[in-house]
Amino acid sequence: MSDGLLHGVVYSVLIVSVVLTATAMALWFERKFAARMQTRLGPTIVGPIGLLQPVADLLKLLQKEDIVPDNADAAIFNLVPPLAALAALGAAAVVPFSPSVVASDLDVGVLYVLAIGAVTVLPIFGAGWSSNNKLALLGGMRAVAQSISYEVPLLLSAMVPVILSGSLRLGTIVQMQADHHWFVVWPFFIGLPAFGIFMLAMLAEANRIPFDIPEAESELVAGVTTEYTGMKFALFYMAEYVHTIVASAVGAALFLGGWDGPFFPGLHWMVLKTLLLFTAVYWVRWSLLRFRSDQLMGLCWKWLVPMGVLLVGAAATWVVVFP
Amino acid sequence: MGVKTVDDGAAFEHPLYRTLLSVPGLTVATTALDQVLTWGMSNALWVFPMATSCCGIEFMATAASRVDIDRMGTIVRATPRQADVMVVAGTITVKMASRVKKLWDQMPEPKWCIAMGSCAISGDFYRNLYSVVPGVDTFLPVDVYVPGCPPSPEALMHGFLRLQEKIRKSRKGETVTPETNSELLRVTRPSIPRMVDHERTPEMDRAQIESADIATEVEVTPAVHASLAPEPTELASNISGPDLPAVLTELGIAATGELGPPLVPARRHLEVASRLKSRGYRQLVSVVATHWVPGTARKGKVPDEPEHFEVSYLLRTVGAGSRVATWAVRLAPGEPVASLFQLFAGADWQEREQYDLVGVMFADHPDLRRLMMPENYDRHPLRRDLPANLPYAPWR
Repeated sequence: MSDGLLHGVVYSVLIVSVVLTATAMALWFERKFAARMQTRLGPTIVGPIGLLQPVADLLKLLQKEDIVPDNADAAIFNLVPPLAALAALGAAAVVPFSPSVVASDLDVGVLYVLAIGAVTVLPIFGAGWSSNNKLALLGGMRAVAQSISYEVPLLLSAMVPVILSGSLRLGTIVQMQADHHWFVVWPFFIGLPAFGIFMLAMLAEANRIPFDIPEAESELVAGVTTEYTGMKFALFYMAEYVHTIVASAVGAALFLGGWDGPFFPGLHWMVLKTLLLFTAVYWVRWSLLRFRSDQLMGLCWKWLVPMGVLLVGAAATWVVVFP
Repeated sequence: MGVKTVDDGAAFEHPLYRTLLSVPGLTVATTALDQVLTWGMSNALWVFPMATSCCGIEFMATAASRVDIDRMGTIVRATPRQADVMVVAGTITVKMASRVKKLWDQMPEPKWCIAMGSCAISGDFYRNLYSVVPGVDTFLPVDVYVPGCPPSPEALMHGFLRLQEKIRKSRKGETVTPETNSELLRVTRPSIPRMVDHERTPEMDRAQIESADIATEVEVTPAVHASLAPEPTELASNISGPDLPAVLTELGIAATGELGPPLVPARRHLEVASRLKSRGYRQLVSVVATHWVPGTARKGKVPDEPEHFEVSYLLRTVGAGSRVATWAVRLAPGEPVASLFQLFAGADWQEREQYDLVGVMFADHPDLRRLMMPENYDRHPLRRDLPANLPYAPWR
């Protein structure tokens, strides 16, 4: 009992620190990556190759005035930024970084990750509502519509590895792939499309381009974060990156065989795969344009959901035919 | 230079203050902390671009590949709540100024302002215009002035570097000295060779100047004016076709006016517009009011005619083979003219604009408010009797 508790506490602290550091580095990485895509250099002056840029940003945000607009609902306005960060970090608890490095390998790990991921929409909507700003409210409304819609294909695509491996525990799903094949490799005609749908729905859940209509700069200024200053904004910003990192890690565990790989220890492979997915997210983000709202819903309900249902059926058939 | 001495902190007479200063090593620690915080503050300047004109394009160039302000950690935020620096890039009009001020007030402290370009610094050649603020430092605390029209991206980058220097020094209680002209010249010199036409010789320049038709000063009397003005073309009557004369004949109106559009009596003007609309003239292209005072010369006008307004209208038919019809109304000062809003919804803003700028009253207009100028402006700027260099509070 006390061993389990100690394990949980130690790994929680460890994983939270690692994920937060990784988030800071992700900020730097995205700026460098975006800059290279636009034939710029990105941060170069602050620290060696600009590595200290996130630190400077954080120090600056700490010093900024904390403004709560007069007409805002102060209680909710102040409550939601830490809630957003918490919800994003919470999902990291069950991500298996290696057979042993996992804070808590829950029996219902997949369910937990998706549930916590869905909770992030609450702080976003709370922020939009409590800011008492029409741009923030519109952004919050769009975020809710989008997140709830894309929840469906996300769940359906996550069901595929669950059915194939017969377990909701992320550790078991990865072990199953390590013993047989990664799900994107075999059965690839089920695993590959399911992986694609998972990544698309994940992008939409994290409100990243091409699904970033909740914070479309040209029309909504900065979406739900329009009224947030300093550290409160930083928490939202961080939550978005943590969400992307954790979702990349979950995608790697569900479809890409998690820690499985030759030569190197499992942790290396897991981090490498997460980083690859993370980079792919930014690659998409800095290459594509924004979807229109109706196109977004059309893609979800007309394509991703029917395909997801088909894939779940195909996975069930596969399991029955080739047990 | 370290933390200020105890005497400098005399304003803080909290009992804890002196006790804390006597703790050994504390001042060293706070100085170090302050340096770290200053380093962070000066290296993450997020920008709110208040770009209104061509300087905005140069600002974009500064953020793009060749100069790339992101190198020093400067990114652009769309909301003032998350910005540290407001870059005012462009001409700020009197009406815009209150909005700029509002956005500035929405930025969280500590914040800085860069005035980019001649218009933001002084109003430049729009300085004496009735609608332009002569420099944003009339209502914003500007930290750095970046001269140029527009400044090159290199100059703006230099402005950012100077702002960083100012932040670092002011946190230590030091001041920044303005640059001398030679320093500025050294910095803003272009780092790449400009495109040069090597084929071109000084002789070619001289020949071009000599062959150019350069206007000379002429005292404009009515006779001179008539000789200078181009012959009136037949264009207006040609394209307007027979509709307007037919309508005028139908209504029994004898139009006056030798040149330009026919003058219609103000009380019959609505009938003319209505008849034209029923003949297919469905689009109101423009409403233009002009103020005439004795002494303003124009071909066909006697220079000492009494003060009056002339409002001219332009209608056109919609579709292929479009025809136009144009007529004018002459008004005495203070005399209203009927609004065309009931016939053409497009008259709404056009008539508001003429009311705002020239001061013509349009009877039965549903919403005759100012359109361009601030709501509390008390003049009509396109009147000929508007004094140049008008003192206008609070910007002048």
